[in-house]
Amino acid sequence: MAPPAQSHRSPSPSQPSGKGEVSDLKSQLRQLAGSRAPGVDDSKRELFKKVISYMTIGIDVSSLFGEMVMCSATSDIVLKKMCYLYVGNYAKVNPDLALLTINFLQRDCKDQDPMIRGLALRSLCSLRVANLVEYLVGPLGSGLKDSNSYVRMVAVIGVLKLYHISSSTCMDADFPAILKHLMLNDPDTQVLANCLSALQEIWTAEASKSEEASRERDALLSKPVIYYLLNRIKEFSEWPQCLVLELVAKYVPSDSNEIFDIMNLLEDRLQHANGAVVLATIKVFLQLTLSMTDVHQQVYERIKAPLLTLVSSGSPEQSYAVLSHLHLLVMRAPVLFSSDYKHFYCQYNESFYVKKLKLEMLTVVANESNTYEIVTELCEYAANVDIPIARESIRAVGKIALQQYDVNAIVDRLLQFLEMEKDYVTAETLVLVKDLLRKYPQWSQDCIAVVGNISSKNVQEPKAKAALIWMLGEYSQDMQDAPYILESLAENWDDEHSPEVRLHLLTAVMKCFFKRPPETQKALGAALAAGLGDFHQDVHDRALFYYRLLQFNVSTAERVVNPPKQAVSVFADSQSSEIKDRIFDEFNSLSVVYQKIIVFQCSRSRPMTRTSS
Amino acid sequence: MISQFFVLSQRGDNIVFRDYRGEVQKGSTEIFFRKVKFWKEEGQDEAQAPPVFNVDGVNYFHVKVAGLLFVATTRVNISPSLVLELLQRIARVIKDYLGVLSEDSLRKNFVLVYELLDEVIDFGYVQSTSTEVLKSYIFNEPIAVDAARLPPLGPAAIFMQGSKRMPGTAVTKSVIANEPAGRKREEIFVDIIEKISVTFSSSGYILTSEIDGTIQMKSYLTGNPEIRVALNEELNIGRGSGSLYDYRSSTGSGAVILDDCNFHESVRLDSFDVDRTLSLVPPDGEFPVMNYRMTQEFKPPFRVNALIEEAGNLRAEVTIKIRAEFPSNITANTIVVQMPLPKYTTRATFELDRGAAGQTADFKEANKKLEWSLKKAIISHMLLWSLIVGGSEHTLRAKLTFLQETHGNITKESGPVSMTFIIPMHNASGLQVKYLQIAKKSSTYNPYRWVRYVTQANSYVARL
Repeated sequence: MAPPAQSHRSPSPSQPSGKGEVSDLKSQLRQLAGSRAPGVDDSKRELFKKVISYMTIGIDVSSLFGEMVMCSATSDIVLKKMCYLYVGNYAKVNPDLALLTINFLQRDCKDQDPMIRGLALRSLCSLRVANLVEYLVGPLGSGLKDSNSYVRMVAVIGVLKLYHISSSTCMDADFPAILKHLMLNDPDTQVLANCLSALQEIWTAEASKSEEASRERDALLSKPVIYYLLNRIKEFSEWPQCLVLELVAKYVPSDSNEIFDIMNLLEDRLQHANGAVVLATIKVFLQLTLSMTDVHQQVYERIKAPLLTLVSSGSPEQSYAVLSHLHLLVMRAPVLFSSDYKHFYCQYNESFYVKKLKLEMLTVVANESNTYEIVTELCEYAANVDIPIARESIRAVGKIALQQYDVNAIVDRLLQFLEMEKDYVTAETLVLVKDLLRKYPQWSQDCIAVVGNISSKNVQEPKAKAALIWMLGEYSQDMQDAPYILESLAENWDDEHSPEVRLHLLTAVMKCFFKRPPETQKALGAALAAGLGDFHQDVHDRALFYYRLLQFNVSTAERVVNPPKQAVSVFADSQSSEIKDRIFDEFNSLSVVYQKIIVFQCSRSRPMTRTSS
Repeated sequence: MISQFFVLSQRGDNIVFRDYRGEVQKGSTEIFFRKVKFWKEEGQDEAQAPPVFNVDGVNYFHVKVAGLLFVATTRVNISPSLVLELLQRIARVIKDYLGVLSEDSLRKNFVLVYELLDEVIDFGYVQSTSTEVLKSYIFNEPIAVDAARLPPLGPAAIFMQGSKRMPGTAVTKSVIANEPAGRKREEIFVDIIEKISVTFSSSGYILTSEIDGTIQMKSYLTGNPEIRVALNEELNIGRGSGSLYDYRSSTGSGAVILDDCNFHESVRLDSFDVDRTLSLVPPDGEFPVMNYRMTQEFKPPFRVNALIEEAGNLRAEVTIKIRAEFPSNITANTIVVQMPLPKYTTRATFELDRGAAGQTADFKEANKKLEWSLKKAIISHMLLWSLIVGGSEHTLRAKLTFLQETHGNITKESGPVSMTFIIPMHNASGLQVKYLQIAKKSSTYNPYRWVRYVTQANSYVARL
């Protein structure tokens, strides 16, 4: 019985430390190596299992290599498989000993049983030892021609493995040409799919080196190849279907008839239970119709239901991946989803990252007809005990307010938040009220009346405090206490740890001074003195700048610090539309989940060596 | 393409580890586990790691199944759906072979698992995840673990509790295990599993409701005969396709209108448009025949009303009422009602219905939650009836004591009330398997057919 692997990070007396057990195994394996006693295979199985279990938990058992190879002379397939697994793992660090395995692997490659032939060939190609590649070419060549599809399937991936060990050997043997032939002629779809995977990888890597390779790579996207694959797509199992669909999404059809033919052919793939197939199909539909606005819009309508079904079936992880893609589409064309807003309501047991995506979707689909309901729903979340979600919800309400023309009702809701007297709710709301006032100065009367009741002592978060101070400065003529609140803040300068707040305080005191000079004089003096002595460079510089401006000319200073403002019409979007388009082009990839373009390292460019640490 | 695949226990131990391409450095399991365990989100102390993230150019994908972490790594910009779907599928294939998916069974059978992994993925490319296809490559025999001692996991496990008619071991049987008597029991399971989400407003009005259903199949039939599954004849797909608007939907005879559905690749829909029949040759192992989604109005199995009121200085009263609205011959299981209370709650005393044995109410001090459970297991036979009779009602009253005075609106400091439950032999959508026809091999061939229904709460919430 294999010992249950315990954590190797928490050593305990009963746990294998490695050394003693490994040398024990070594001698036991030696004893069995030459034995022909009955039942010896069973004892070997137990020992092999022990070796593999040590390997799994990270104990180095590479020193057993010689013994393992000696024991591998067997007809027991279970033993053989364990031995292959072991050899594949350690051949790289024992290149000399790996040579020992070549012999029996090559012999197994000619076994009568196709299963053994395939397994041996797979192991042979997995040794990852550069100076052994000469032994691979022969078995691979015959493997590709094998009458059994399992062996061919393994051989095709074997060619790719060879390419990664020694690309020149692979190219010299002309294997890619054989794969191309197999891809277009082999009756077995898994062989075909493996050829496609291997060729894509090989030609992409070679394309930078030779023009011919780059032509070959482009040829995978040619009409005959694409049509050949599309016509057979229903024979493929679900995973190769994804592969083919991914390829088809890059194909450029010559006319709209072709586009409709492809879409009609793939239409039923949208009903597949495997989300990966559905998303790959959607990518094809979206890419093909990019230049046909009407059809593209119809595609959105068509894919809504299948996407929503995938979001609600399957595991939370799967539904998150699909939801990220739905999120991308909603962000791109919110109008098309404005009647589906109820699907984006949060469920109490969803995780933060799912809720966050949903809140963003609710924000963008809000329009004149559904805003009331959406904001009502968001207000429920704002009162939620889940604080991060409550915060996000308030921000969402604010964003909706900023994108709407009729903000009347929303402003009321926001002001109600302030009456809830929860610190984090107040903090988030203050920031929003500030933004709202910058866009809709006409609401200042209503807002200021409520904001004026908030004690600055109850506001601790820097962003919120800065917002409150900004309002005190901007609307000091309407807020009776403004100069005195600012004064007490300026007097307690050293208690304020955030430079952002101190910067705002300086500016607010200045603005207040221009409007109500006699009352603010004391605050201004205190603020400037404290600012000049501030350790923070920006705060110090701003204080100095204000000081000199005032010294120069007070009315000039007013023109600089408090000029008449125009309402902000549009707030800058955090993400440029160019990036959004690029993410859209990478639909059905990690870029969508991460919501950014990532430069991925090509696996080829990385050396195949593992770090020794 | 996938670089590595591994399974970690809850404590972060490697149970199986397979490196397919040797392009991700060693130590990735530790990096992954540390990242998941100490995931930080802005403004949050405790957060759950998303299923996909990137650390130093390596992308980590993970799914949680049976308390284990199934993880894949890659360096390329691959389809996240594909990898997450694959991980889920690998878990299912392993379960098909081991009978039970648990840390124990994986450790006992890791050699078999390696055998599977070698055939499922080669050099990072998926080869097959079909339990059926993989059968011919697997030579190890599964070592059975004691299923009875395992905590129930996954949707199928709910059938194991209680109901005597179900052969308890069937769902935990390996597809390649030999029966003691040397012959296989011919049987097929078709499970209709529905997860329902309902949000009630404070006035008891239904704000949103949805049913997410799956028809799951597990076949142990030799020779893979063709099977025909007939669904309700009055079944419409796509909202707006039919002009029917039927309130009787949940009680059976009315038309069922699904918003949308999808099917397993083995399902043929040749006659689906004519007589709502699915035909398929079921592969070995467990798989979803059909997933569906319904937002048509239906009768929620439970009505929930909740109320919180201030009752003088530093005090408040909570009243939660649930009413079971399903037929009286049906029993609901493991009902738990939860409600977050104001943060400054220090004490709660409860008052249950008279004779409410088997019910417990508790104040969870640590996260300030009220928990009320109505577990079937501890309800004696007589009392059970009071719970399940249609229209039967249960009420919990709680008196709360606060540390400080409430300010503002107390309903904004607590709630919403959420509820979990399992109702075997009931489905809310009205979707039914009318018959299950197995292509006959001979007149004496009459395998066991189990068609089972179950309804579960997904997000079942009542607002205050």
